Amino acid sequence: MLDLLAYDFIQRSLLAAALVGALCSTIGVFVVLRGLAFMGAGTAHAAFAGVALGFLIGWPPLLMALLFGLATVWITGWMEEKGRMKLDVSIGILYTATMALAILFIGLMKTYNAEVYGYLFGNVLAVTSVELLTIAGLSIVVIGAIVLFSKELYFIAFDQEMAEASGVPARRIFFLLLTLVALTVVISLKTVGAILVFAMILIPASTAYQLTHSLSTLTWYSILIGITCSVGGVLISSYWDVPSGPAIVLLATLLFFVAVVFSPKRQRRSLAVN
Amino acid sequence: MPSQSLPIIHFDHATFGFPGVVALEDISLEIHSGEFVGVIGPNGSGKTTLCRAVLGLMAPLKGHLRIFDCACDELRCHHRAKIGYLPQKGVVDRNFPVTVLETVMMGRYGALGLFTRPSGNDRTIALDALAHVGMEGHRDSALGHLSGGQQQRVFIARALAQQPQVLLLDEPTTGLDITTQHNVVELVQHLHEELGLTVLLITHDINMIRSRVDRLVLLKTRLYAAGPPADVLKPDILSQVYGKDLVITERDTIIVEDYHHHHH
Repeated sequence: MLDLLAYDFIQRSLLAAALVGALCSTIGVFVVLRGLAFMGAGTAHAAFAGVALGFLIGWPPLLMALLFGLATVWITGWMEEKGRMKLDVSIGILYTATMALAILFIGLMKTYNAEVYGYLFGNVLAVTSVELLTIAGLSIVVIGAIVLFSKELYFIAFDQEMAEASGVPARRIFFLLLTLVALTVVISLKTVGAILVFAMILIPASTAYQLTHSLSTLTWYSILIGITCSVGGVLISSYWDVPSGPAIVLLATLLFFVAVVFSPKRQRRSLAVN
Repeated sequence: MPSQSLPIIHFDHATFGFPGVVALEDISLEIHSGEFVGVIGPNGSGKTTLCRAVLGLMAPLKGHLRIFDCACDELRCHHRAKIGYLPQKGVVDRNFPVTVLETVMMGRYGALGLFTRPSGNDRTIALDALAHVGMEGHRDSALGHLSGGQQQRVFIARALAQQPQVLLLDEPTTGLDITTQHNVVELVQHLHEELGLTVLLITHDINMIRSRVDRLVLLKTRLYAAGPPADVLKPDILSQVYGKDLVITERDTIIVEDYHHHHH
């Protein structure tokens, strides 16, 4: 396996995987705790519609993905805030609508475009140096924002109304979180793909959730699990020559179920009596 | 703590609600520094709206609300950190993966502002707050592992960590057993006396607080009465609000209709 590491493309993909793993698992903590799990899926499909439109009209696909992703999270966030509709309903509607758009855009293309499907399933082994630099730059922006606003992000995840009541600009922090989710999805599109990015956001944080009762510990566990799964998945993928996205996600899923079985929470819950 | 004459919360013919729905109408009420005020009324009487108004989460549709002498038509207002708030049980996921100390530290976040990390001093304030509610031995415990009464104490500590002038409690005894209910209200009374906190306690349980508060405020969309418990808890006033659901026993215990189904 070690001789694989000598290849440039393997080094690049390992780095990209580690970055995306760290990024998704960090934002995932807030997504899981704030109950936005479904939002990740909706955003990913919207971003894919953006990619398809980009290829159709000849605009940069990732820019279009970002626009579609941002529009989706902002509309759903706005609808939740206005109390017009439950979040899962509005996400469900936008999720399917954007998927319909993606299929429509692909249908309008005169020729089969394999590159579009690359964004659907992702291929971390095909990441170029330029893409790696973009991922790195954007990851720094997103993780930097999370670090900068971490105490507010934790507070709104726990209790948004209380945060607002005690003088935290909770609404703006919520929309910041939504924006960061959209950015994360777009950054991850090329490596894990639109279908699987959702899993990378959801699973590491949910796995960490099984293991600890402390917010800060939860975050560190989640990041560790995220990086381990992405790097491990890439190694598995290149060693056994299987697609990288599924390798990463299935490894993460396996870890999740192991954590559920051995969760200290499960064992202690029966002791937590009045 | 003797009552000072300065009103710190002043409703002046204030109406609250959403377009087409009036939750509180034409409320005029002054709450003074150092008072212990109980807010009572049936379900849907606007108790929680009053709470949200004081927190600055709702602006008056008509009239004015002044808090700490600040016209609160402006919703984002710095006075809010001076109001420590205990939300209704059920608003917060109490199995959230958070330790007791992490929960109480959140009480500091509003006052710290953006970009400022909590310091050792904030930690000291949080630990102090935990000591005030008798939970200092549980600082590293998981919030979800505590009993309902202990969780309530932790949330009161979070409110205290804001170093508030006013403690605002929305149904603090809901879902607790009778002994724990008494303990929680006793703790609130103790904090009121020891720290000189102005307390605004919203409850459906009149008997629990009637002997402890300085004043009672009786709401049902409008303000029906405000004054010492003996003046407010008169059969003719109560029956205006509770109607035929009101029963006053021989031992002067007041039983009202929504006593057993106040859950949302």
